[in-house]
Amino acid sequence: MGKIVFAGAMSHVLDPDYYQRACGDEGRRMVTDCMTEIARMGERFSATRADALIVVADDHLNAFSFNAVPALCVRIGRSVPRMKQDHAEAFDAVLDHMADDYPLHEDLANAILEQGLDSGFDLAMSWEAPVDHAFLSPVNTMHGTRPVPPLVPIWVNAFVAPQPTPKRCFDFGRHIARVVAASPWNVGIIATGGLSHFPELSLPRVGETDTVFDRKLIHWMERGEHEPLRELTVGELHKTGEHEFLNWMVLIGAVSPARAQVRYFGELRRINLAAVEWSLP
Amino acid sequence: MSRYAVNSTLYRLKKDPEFRARFQADAAAALASVDLTEAERAAFVNHDMRRINELGGYLHLVMSVPGLAAH
Repeated sequence: MGKIVFAGAMSHVLDPDYYQRACGDEGRRMVTDCMTEIARMGERFSATRADALIVVADDHLNAFSFNAVPALCVRIGRSVPRMKQDHAEAFDAVLDHMADDYPLHEDLANAILEQGLDSGFDLAMSWEAPVDHAFLSPVNTMHGTRPVPPLVPIWVNAFVAPQPTPKRCFDFGRHIARVVAASPWNVGIIATGGLSHFPELSLPRVGETDTVFDRKLIHWMERGEHEPLRELTVGELHKTGEHEFLNWMVLIGAVSPARAQVRYFGELRRINLAAVEWSLP
Repeated sequence: MSRYAVNSTLYRLKKDPEFRARFQADAAAALASVDLTEAERAAFVNHDMRRINELGGYLHLVMSVPGLAAH
């Protein structure tokens, strides 16, 4: 019988040079501190010797263009490449030094996909989509020079309206928990992105965050109070710059009613950096 | 309707180096066959990413088109 043996969520632009350019010395210091905590989370994850790592993240219009934008998509196949971008700027440049290809846990990905369709989740699938910084920045920060275990990348459409609801994401997480429980594998799961940044996806508002809303989310996560999280609306997340919390909602559904422990929370004008880990039974 | 044209143009500028080079050499000519409103076309020709964002261009695209990105 399988088990979720690790669960963590974290910001996903993890690059001191990026924050130096965007926020100066304070940005470099804070993201370095956040990355230190994420690396420690990675050590704890590696100690579980899990068979696979599910990574729930969003696409930044890199993997999917306007020919199709899936609400929820499971990456299947045997390996996944990192996104390649010529003359990469900003968050895309974070990928440049990373390994080109990563193994997938094909059987777990197929089980999440196939059992999902059987149980009412009309998931999209992809054999070819590459993964961007939302997946690889946390994975590589967690693992450092250690080998990365087989991944199961899952995309949530966090940005292109209409998005899936927080409740739907939570319920999809419950589905993942059921699949893992019925499997022979021990599995880690991470969700990436956030916390508050880029409210309303408005360029003039880059540099604003909603720390009050972040603290409300953290309060509920720490206490395992998941009903108020399920009742959040996409509109609230858009207004407060919490778009990527949809990814976190999948994880929260997967581990509910587990309580979260904050490993790092830092208020930075551009983004509130966070690293959170759940205490699992 | 126009949101698609704005974003598909941004996406091409990001992912298609040849189109990007033509745009940087002569933006108006590169966009001649693209179905944009006059306001959208002017924003692109002026490399005005803030205006493009106001017109529906997704933030992560306006922040990551090589050589044109707003930060």
